[in-house]
Amino acid sequence: MTTAALTAGLDRIPDQLGYLVISEDGVLASAGELENDEHTAGVIMQMVRTACRFRLSGSAEAPFKRMSVILDDFVYVATISGQKVFVVKRQNNQHQAVCA
Amino acid sequence: MGCCYSGEDNNSGEKSSETDPLIPPPNPTSKPPNGTDWITTNVPSARTDEQALLNSIITKTAQNIIDVSAADSVVMEQHEYMDKARQYSTKLAVLSTNLHQKKALTLPSLTSQPHQVLASDLVPYSDVQQVSKIAAYACSAISQIKVDAKEELVVQFAIP
Repeated sequence: MTTAALTAGLDRIPDQLGYLVISEDGVLASAGELENDEHTAGVIMQMVRTACRFRLSGSAEAPFKRMSVILDDFVYVATISGQKVFVVKRQNNQHQAVCA
Repeated sequence: MGCCYSGEDNNSGEKSSETDPLIPPPNPTSKPPNGTDWITTNVPSARTDEQALLNSIITKTAQNIIDVSAADSVVMEQHEYMDKARQYSTKLAVLSTNLHQKKALTLPSLTSQPHQVLASDLVPYSDVQQVSKIAAYACSAISQIKVDAKEELVVQFAIP
């Protein structure tokens, strides 16, 4: 799969601020605020690997489809497909509901 | 009486399990063991029973001992040595790639539509709040775990 095919859909994600595509060997592609950000790539990879080791009782497969790291202003969302980890940094629009 | 093998009778069956070697030697009548003087043959001498017994002790010990310090214990030609070295390194390579493969495959595939999954709605704030609250309760509960000492750990035995 070419890099362009990997990243084609990622920059069309609404309110995305940047993305990373990471494999076992390292970063395959990066853009936006995550361009060349190997540090973030390393941290997210470790978090994803740890999360993959969890198992809900009675289940043999990984217990999640997408991992979200929720910070104040933005969110890192990550998933795994075809031995590659896809990470997108998005604006956090899920703020506290304002009581009118 | 009072010394090794004094009660041994070669014809008795019950002692054979104690004296049989654990790993049967490949060829018991093969070349002489390294490092020992091998003068007598396997056939016990008719001269004295004592001589025969001593010889049998030597035979059994020699069969059970591998002398790694003996000189010229390995007489291998250069090509044999190279062949063996190549064999071992191939085997090692196979084993190490198997191990490495296992490690690389531990990234499970979570989805076949990564773009779709990453583009879908973010986790609602109410869900995040609820999970944070539950985690805070759990943290507080764990911090309150303590030992409830009911009795003394160390007691004196009452010795009248």
